[in-house]
Amino acid sequence: MGKLAGKKLILLGERDGVPGPAMEACLQNSGAEIVFAVSECFV
Amino acid sequence: MSSVGIKGYSYCLNHVPELALHYGSTPFGEREAKGESDFLHGLPAAVQTWDKAASYAPNLTYIGAMDYFDFEAAETPWTENHLPEPKRFGKYGEIMPEPEFICLMAVCDVFDLIWLEKSFAEEAAAKLLKDPVLTEAIIARINGLHSHVHEISEIEAEISGKKARPLYHNGAVAGCVRSGHEVDDCLFPYVLLENLACKAGGVLALMHLIKNSGIAPADVDFVIECSEEGAGDMNQRAGGNFAKAIAETAGCVNASGCDIRGFCAGPVNAIVAGAAQVAAGVRKNCAVLAGGAVPKLYMNSRDHVKKSLPALEDCLGNFAVLLAPDDGTNPVIRLDSVGKHSVGAGAAPQAIMSALVYEPLAERGLSFADVDKFAAELQNPEITLPAGAGDVPAANIKMTAALAVMKKAIEKSGMDDFIKKRGVIGFAPTQGHIPSGVPFIGTACDAIRAGKMHRAMIIGKGSLFLARLTNLADGGSFMIEPPEHGGAAGAVTKDEIRAVILDILSEAQPQ
Repeated sequence: MGKLAGKKLILLGERDGVPGPAMEACLQNSGAEIVFAVSECFV
Repeated sequence: MSSVGIKGYSYCLNHVPELALHYGSTPFGEREAKGESDFLHGLPAAVQTWDKAASYAPNLTYIGAMDYFDFEAAETPWTENHLPEPKRFGKYGEIMPEPEFICLMAVCDVFDLIWLEKSFAEEAAAKLLKDPVLTEAIIARINGLHSHVHEISEIEAEISGKKARPLYHNGAVAGCVRSGHEVDDCLFPYVLLENLACKAGGVLALMHLIKNSGIAPADVDFVIECSEEGAGDMNQRAGGNFAKAIAETAGCVNASGCDIRGFCAGPVNAIVAGAAQVAAGVRKNCAVLAGGAVPKLYMNSRDHVKKSLPALEDCLGNFAVLLAPDDGTNPVIRLDSVGKHSVGAGAAPQAIMSALVYEPLAERGLSFADVDKFAAELQNPEITLPAGAGDVPAANIKMTAALAVMKKAIEKSGMDDFIKKRGVIGFAPTQGHIPSGVPFIGTACDAIRAGKMHRAMIIGKGSLFLARLTNLADGGSFMIEPPEHGGAAGAVTKDEIRAVILDILSEAQPQ
């Protein structure tokens, strides 16, 4: 987690893989700033 | 226990490569933004003929011209192992060629929006009239097609002067879709083309459903349409109603209908809603159906062209399912345990699968091993893998297997066997709502009738976040089983034995 402290994160998730909000929840206490998180659908 | 019979089902494809070339959102957007780019120059070489599309194993499986279990054993890649002969018809439906489908779109148009060139219209109508599933209402409309026939000069004037969108046959203009309004972009030609194609696909699916179910059009009581299209005007964008329009065109004079939307979760939600209405006695029967999505044609073609692969997304998909009271003769949908991805369930993959798969099983005291096949999101992987979108049905069954390990229903070492035995290989076109579990209903019902399968779970997952109203996705699921009393297998089921044992044990307990 320390590796991400002070970083800015852009999170791209997908519905049938790992959705954006799920990544956001995992990285909430990482010390990084989540500037953008979204899920996309490619099917 | 409430259950509803599945009396019939139909699955059709409309092979429309010229609509795809011009109006699939990927080539259309590219043309609008960049003009004739390298991608657009390369795309025609990737187009596959109707013969190729109609001898391609996933397509044949979709329409029931190839048994699903033979498809599981078919040699891959399917693009290099076409069947020796193309097949137009299968036990569930057909793969309709483009000229006939454009003619069917004109037949479905009651606002003089589609104009067809004379020789094209005559040839296409003559072929369409030979289709064995046409209802009397449709035949009458085809015979009245002359009102849509115009000289090519009139059609070209409409395209150049009034922004009509051209329709093509063999690369030449064969007709057009006219504008429905001067300023309302909900009624511009592209939108109307999309909606009329969706309506025509729904009509075709409904006619096959009527034939497959052996009912008269007048006996259809209610229709629920569950595509992803929006019909309306600027004051009520997507107000509807495809369902009643489709019922009218097919001649279902005693039916009414409504639309249900939910992206790819639409069909499962629509089937549960229709089944509930039938179970409650509100409807005598309910046809749940959907036509296809023009924008999704050639959606991933940029990657297919880049990798010198055939552009496989050249078919609109459609389906229809007839729900009727459980009379003990048809496979049934159980309404006492349907899966729901609630708002509070969270977005983590295991939370979603738990809501859709584990919870409905647990509610009835069932385990993962009690389900023969889990059918979730059945996109054809030969379309999605080259585009970097993964093998969607494989990803879903892997998550289901992982959940089964977490719940201690199987050992970790048994995951591969579970995936192979209980997963379903994707065979549906990437048409959004079309692949969402429902293409397996036909196979599941046939196998249950033959006593080869006892239970299947149909799972749909919808990308609600695409509408920018919420970050949530959605999902739904239901189980299909033999009827409680009777059914083809005729044998006492494991569930029935379990219920009897529980009864005896409860009676044996000391008071």
